[in-house]
Amino acid sequence: MPAIRIRSAWLIGAIGLCVARVAPAAAQAQADTMSFYKALDLEASGKYKEAVPLFRSALHTSAAVNALLGLERVYAELGWSDSLIAPVAALIADNPREETYRTVQLRTLESLGRDVDVQKVIAAWVHDMPTSVSPYREYARLLLQKNRATAADSVLAKAKEVLGTTKDLQLEIAQARAAQGQWIESAKAWRQALLTADYLEQAAAYALAPTPSSARAQIREVFLAPPVEVPSRRALADLEATWGSPADGWNALKDLPVDSASAEAWSEFARRAEAEDRWTIAREALESALRFKHTSEIAIRAGTAAMNGGDPAAALRLAPLSDAHGDSALIAKAYLPLHARALAALGRPSEAERLVAVYDRLLTPAAHNSLVRTIAWGWVRTGDMTRARAALSATGADGDSSDAAGWLALYEGNLKTARGLLRGGTESSPELALALGLVARIKADTAPAIGKAFLALAKGDSIGAATQFVAAADKQPTARSLLLSTAAQIDASGGREAEAVAIWQRILTQEKDSPEAPQAELEWARLLKRKKDSAGAASHLEHMILTYPSSALVPQARRELELVKSSIPPAV
Amino acid sequence: MMFSSAFSNGRRGAVAIFAATVFIAATAKAQRLLVPMDDAQQNHLKAYGLTYNAIKAGASAEWLLNYRGGSFLLADTPELRRQAGLAGITIEALDNGKVSALRAEIAGANMEAVPLEKAPKVAVYTPPDALPWDDAVTIALKYAGIEYTPIYDDEVEKGDLSKYDWLHLHHEDFTGQLNKFYLSYRDAPWFIDLLQKNTAAAKRLGYANMPGLKKDVAEKIREFVERGGFLFAMCGATETLELAIAGRNVDIAQSFIDGTPMDPDADRKMEWKRTFAFQDVHLEQSPFVNSMSDIDGHQVNVAGRRQPLGTFTLFNFSAKFDPVPSMLVQDHRGVINDFFGVTTSFTKSVLKPGVTVLANEEGAPWVKYIHGDYGKGTWTYYGGHDPEDPQHAIGNPPTDLSLFKNSPGYRLILNNVLFPAAKKKPLKT
Repeated sequence: MPAIRIRSAWLIGAIGLCVARVAPAAAQAQADTMSFYKALDLEASGKYKEAVPLFRSALHTSAAVNALLGLERVYAELGWSDSLIAPVAALIADNPREETYRTVQLRTLESLGRDVDVQKVIAAWVHDMPTSVSPYREYARLLLQKNRATAADSVLAKAKEVLGTTKDLQLEIAQARAAQGQWIESAKAWRQALLTADYLEQAAAYALAPTPSSARAQIREVFLAPPVEVPSRRALADLEATWGSPADGWNALKDLPVDSASAEAWSEFARRAEAEDRWTIAREALESALRFKHTSEIAIRAGTAAMNGGDPAAALRLAPLSDAHGDSALIAKAYLPLHARALAALGRPSEAERLVAVYDRLLTPAAHNSLVRTIAWGWVRTGDMTRARAALSATGADGDSSDAAGWLALYEGNLKTARGLLRGGTESSPELALALGLVARIKADTAPAIGKAFLALAKGDSIGAATQFVAAADKQPTARSLLLSTAAQIDASGGREAEAVAIWQRILTQEKDSPEAPQAELEWARLLKRKKDSAGAASHLEHMILTYPSSALVPQARRELELVKSSIPPAV
Repeated sequence: MMFSSAFSNGRRGAVAIFAATVFIAATAKAQRLLVPMDDAQQNHLKAYGLTYNAIKAGASAEWLLNYRGGSFLLADTPELRRQAGLAGITIEALDNGKVSALRAEIAGANMEAVPLEKAPKVAVYTPPDALPWDDAVTIALKYAGIEYTPIYDDEVEKGDLSKYDWLHLHHEDFTGQLNKFYLSYRDAPWFIDLLQKNTAAAKRLGYANMPGLKKDVAEKIREFVERGGFLFAMCGATETLELAIAGRNVDIAQSFIDGTPMDPDADRKMEWKRTFAFQDVHLEQSPFVNSMSDIDGHQVNVAGRRQPLGTFTLFNFSAKFDPVPSMLVQDHRGVINDFFGVTTSFTKSVLKPGVTVLANEEGAPWVKYIHGDYGKGTWTYYGGHDPEDPQHAIGNPPTDLSLFKNSPGYRLILNNVLFPAAKKKPLKT
């Protein structure tokens, strides 16, 4: 513990300097205080026995409270906690209103299992300080730490009886109720506790996290009940996130009054949503924060969330260049990448090109190249491969070896180049995983049909992409099942269920020995389940499990079969 | 009842089983499916369901006691193979040669092949409304795919118990005091609802209060066993059933539930000769202590008395001479982690002399799992609430057994469901 040693040495030195200037009695007091710091040093180096006499001597100095806490620690390390009983009793006799002494005494007796003595010291504490909430609070906390929720509950009930209120015990009540599984009562108490201690919102969420799903609606009612209070809403938002439902968390926050506390809550909630790639609710939260105060930082975050959530038009609207008030450096650094992406995604790469040209002098070479690749992507989305290639060429060798160049090669059906560039790329996305899986399965170096399929996908033409993948399947026997499976997935996610089913059927009959066959049947079952056809889903799941017992998907299929079967209505 | 008291009585039963085994060995021709129950088994719990449903469908089945963790030998049918495949149950196809070798191994060791004849009709005594705690047996039955009928006070009072072979009790408090949850949960909505419904049921069925109704239900359960029923109870149902039967004519309920305090002389007035497992029990007289009696060794809800959890060890019985206790302890683990319940264990000093201890905690003054005969029937008590949730607290979500498909603690529950299926053989007189 070098840091402690240095600090203690400095303190001792400082005290040493003072000693020369004070009267003899004060000098004695300083010497005793020095013994406290020496004791701290010994404790830090694990010399507990040596620390004991020094802590004890410091009990009669101005450092008595800290010395007692130190003595409690070293006695606990040595297993001598019973030795603390007499000195703490003496300290209480001298200063009965010092609550730390009482707390240490209580803790010590409880740790020694001396329940009768615990009752006595609590009674004495209550007697000496009859209007104080402290004895009840400390005892209840101690019991809660020991998982003795029922006993803590009795202490809290006694406090209410004696003091007439439990206003200052809401935290302990909340913890006791949660420990007893009284989730609704706990939530009510947490709400009260948060009124005076808003920093407990995470503690509240942690304590209520085990609430069974059957009681969660009532917990929401407690936190959502009027009046609207920011701390309790924030706690509920945390809780919803813990329960795996950030969208419900946003429901807890979205109707907060527009003020600084709410804006902070919205911004923080958005930060969590951003980290979890939940862009829609991140955008909503940031838009709400913008209602309180429009800052460039929040606007850029909101625009980025909109962009990542698939709404490039909103990205441009939420973070207009006018927000930068002509600050070219800010535009080049923060606004330009977002605007270039949005314009490219909207199929307006020429506008993006013009915008980049305006601020190009402020861009680093790396930033410039990154933006040019974005523009190239925009040309791809418009289907203009020539201009996309030209844009990339303008970035030099870096452009030719980029991820975008890999994608361009793929779109042109040049699998050999695409294979090399995409494997060494830096991005990570489901599309890349699919592309890599396909180029690995296909032995040929060129496959224009596959290129067309991916290009259609990039342009957002899912029907065309699915059709192209099916067409490519006929030409690529080694990857036929994967191409068909991809086409079916695209159709299913686009709501073209009949087309998806027809492809799954084809896989199961013509490609039944491929790894995609069990996957196709599982996906088919899931589609039926979504359509409430439990019997049909069960039938497919059973067929899949029995036909492909060694598939890695079988455990998941078994689990889904159990869920489906319990939802099948009994035969009449 | 398809399982005679004679069968459950040691040696005579063993002779009958031996005869049955020889018969099967002599006539076995077809290929068989072995359902191993040792560590090779991927899903122990569903294996019980497979066997139960095989018996129910009329297929031949044997329980191979002490053979590879208490394996099952079933007829080899396409449907059973299908069911095993769907559920992920490990099976091994055995030809006649392998079956013969298996029988030879069983004949020469502390093992036995017990024919399983007819699936018992199972009833679970459980309230119709959802409660903030789970029930390990219904969870196990549902997961294994064994059908059961939920019954409660109305059905018992109507005399419906006679329709069933096997009855399970779990968390119920047969002293009619709702497990003294009044002390901690008097304001909880679920408790208020439970109190109102049970009180209303007592009035509807003609009793002055809840203790009156529950004592009568306990008495009908006692008669069910006396007539030849199989009783399996866990958690608080074990202790309170005994208290209710012995205290039939004594006020053992506290004033918060019936308006009058417990009879201060209750200990002396209890009629222990009427009960299954315990005697000379001391009742907890204080209404403020969350304990019923000194039957439970762990006293989980009494802070000063609460004992820590350890492990319990299953006893090893002679499969040929003690087939019933052997069936009840078939498992792939001999030592199992203990788990709490409102009644976690059974104090040794209050056990009746004839009780068979199936599992205990070494060195502890309590046992975990006990069994005995009563009249023409049998009873088995298993302490604790949920074998895979040792600290199970009120409000905790129910255990998802797909995460514990090899649970040795849950296997003990399912042993109890299957053992009444064992074949009854006529005895020579």
